[in-house]
Amino acid sequence: MTIRALEKVSVGQNGVGAFILQCRKMDIHYCDQSGSSRGMNAFIKSQLSKFASRNPQIEFAVSPRPRKHPVLIGHYINGKHKSICVKNMDSLQILKKAELLRDASGEKIKRVNKPITSINESVRSVWSPYHGNGMPV
Amino acid sequence: METRQALRPLGSSLSHATSSVTRSPAFRSIASRRHQSTTSRTKKMLKIPPHPDFLTPQSGQNHIIYNPPAAAPSVYHTPFKFLPKSDPRRQANLSQLVRSSTDLHASRSSLPPVSRATENREKKYNVTREQVEEMRHLRASDPVTWSVHKLAEKFQCGPFFVMMCCKASPEHKEKERQRLEAIKARWGPVRTKAREERQKRKVLLAQGAL
Amino acid sequence: MKRIRYQQLSRQWLATTPARSATPSQVSRLSRPAPTALHCQRRCQSSTSITPDEVFSEAEVHDSPEESTNIHEVRSKPLLPSPHPDRALRSAKLAALHARLSLSSKIPRQVLARALVDPSADAHPKFNNANLAFVGASLLQYHTSEWLVTRYPRLPMSILFAAMKGYAGDPALHRIARAWGVEAAAAPGEEVDPGYLQFSHNNPTVKMHKWGYARAESKELNKYKWRRGMSSRIVLDDPFGNLVDEPEDIPQETDGLEVSDARNKKDLVVQNVDKNAHANFVRAVVGAIYLHCGSETAKTFIKSHVLSRQLDLSNLFNFSLPQRELTRLCARENFDPPVARLLSETGRLSRTPVYVVGIYSGYDKLGEAAGPSLDAAKSAAAINALKSWYLYSPGEVGLPSDTFAEDAAPWKPVYVDIGEIIS
Repeated sequence: MTIRALEKVSVGQNGVGAFILQCRKMDIHYCDQSGSSRGMNAFIKSQLSKFASRNPQIEFAVSPRPRKHPVLIGHYINGKHKSICVKNMDSLQILKKAELLRDASGEKIKRVNKPITSINESVRSVWSPYHGNGMPV
Repeated sequence: METRQALRPLGSSLSHATSSVTRSPAFRSIASRRHQSTTSRTKKMLKIPPHPDFLTPQSGQNHIIYNPPAAAPSVYHTPFKFLPKSDPRRQANLSQLVRSSTDLHASRSSLPPVSRATENREKKYNVTREQVEEMRHLRASDPVTWSVHKLAEKFQCGPFFVMMCCKASPEHKEKERQRLEAIKARWGPVRTKAREERQKRKVLLAQGAL
Repeated sequence: MKRIRYQQLSRQWLATTPARSATPSQVSRLSRPAPTALHCQRRCQSSTSITPDEVFSEAEVHDSPEESTNIHEVRSKPLLPSPHPDRALRSAKLAALHARLSLSSKIPRQVLARALVDPSADAHPKFNNANLAFVGASLLQYHTSEWLVTRYPRLPMSILFAAMKGYAGDPALHRIARAWGVEAAAAPGEEVDPGYLQFSHNNPTVKMHKWGYARAESKELNKYKWRRGMSSRIVLDDPFGNLVDEPEDIPQETDGLEVSDARNKKDLVVQNVDKNAHANFVRAVVGAIYLHCGSETAKTFIKSHVLSRQLDLSNLFNFSLPQRELTRLCARENFDPPVARLLSETGRLSRTPVYVVGIYSGYDKLGEAAGPSLDAAKSAAAINALKSWYLYSPGEVGLPSDTFAEDAAPWKPVYVDIGEIIS
């Protein structure tokens, strides 16, 4: 009993071991009448079923929103959501936007300055002035 | 200017030296100056020879560069002595075994000094049973005169051993506790806080968080 | 650590499964009584064959008058405690979850839907995840412990327990479930989408305490904080070294009910319902994979989702007597006694000195550390030396479960340590 243990919880990194797609739900809103939804209606008719079958991890919800511009809303595992207004876009552009939402991680957009972000310790560890085979000058 | 020129041959000879640099007083006095009058001279002064590990040996034969990182060693790197007999790393690194057996005398001189003089003390086991009885008797008769340190000095043993042998009476313990309380009561806020923080640091050290 | 009897575990579940998922007849499902009338369920379980009318009539007979009138009202529109299994096939959420976890098509969605129902939402053992979670828990514990023991053969028992908890305990599994994007329903019920995790804060949840034994003195252990030895923890307590609470006055249950109201005692109730439900879902998914896809797939799943997570074991240690322990270690292993040597120092007479002390046994350095005083540096160096002893790893070695496969290579024994230094 000279060693007591501290309680720590393991930390997971998505993609190490298993990958979980972060986009969990996509809301698709359209309007039957307005012209800004023309591309969206075409997208729903022609491409949505294929897109949905290619991405079974995402739950798709299609619902009309009369007299409003068409919107794509992605819901993410971290609780955040991203919405893209797709008014006046054609179906291919909307497909691009849907793919963008699918591939997003849900994190806030932020500038990445460091090429590598890691929680693993570096091989040579943190430099310390007190250790190692230093050279006197 | 003249001193720097006089220094140059010394600096160039240093850059070729493979052994560790020996400092001369003249060199140190120049090197410790913060800046030269121009940038290029400063840069020139800051040029230092490569680390001896990276220089080719005089004989010019092939060698392995061993330059361990300047960092606290990782605990996941098991020391050679701790590897079990069956571990393949032990067989792969037989030179370690050979080193520890042959050049004992060389490594004895290269070992760093002990951190305290008490580190090297051998256990003596010199206190006999009668002496322990006497020690107990003395401690029971007059615990103030025969304190733990006095007894340790008398019987030439450690205070830890004295504390293992004899136990003070409850009255004496109570008196000592009260004395300590009185001392603690005189502490100001700064000292009290410092003592508390010392305790916290102790806990963190045991957890390896410091 | 603890032996698992897979076959025995799964046999019971498989025996009950077809009756449920293959023929989920509307009548039998609708005629299920509410979870409050559990004693009736127990009765019907003990009968040889369950017919829906039988269940219903018994429920009526045993209930109090006002309850029975309620049931009469309910008869026109009875409410189930959890969604009907048939609805699992129509839930987009559930299908998305199934695909997100890359589960095999061999696992029916109904089973995934059942894994999402906590015993606190639906007390009927054939419709909640208690049995699946039990199979999953045993698999998780087995694979985590064998992985840790072969990878770090010298870990002290307390650290091994903490590491087990860090990988496969409730908090870790809760985080895994959250990372899978499982959402909890506000309240359980029939009308809820089967893709939501369903548990109730109001109904007490029983702990799954099949692992380990309830000690006779468990109450005193809790009350007076008695000491529990490490060896007795291995034998008696649960896989994480935690005390198993003593179940009080539980009437002898002769039938096969796993969860019942009789066990819903105050001291058996889990503290964190949310965490427990999420963790049980992960366990139930592992159990479902084992039952439908086999042990190899379950092992791969555990490896990729649980063991791939990162836990720095060197942060788990809390030493009390590092220098004494190191001395004992060197004496036990016939090494020279450890000596602290000063590698370098700076500012001895200043306010902030730094000493770098190395611990040597003979001519070999065992560990080194820097500290603000000689004593602190020495004890930190001793801690480092002990950690490097305990965290010895033979590298990637085979696991005992590798030999379960058909064409497995013969088992090569791994390194087994003789034990702790001071226990």
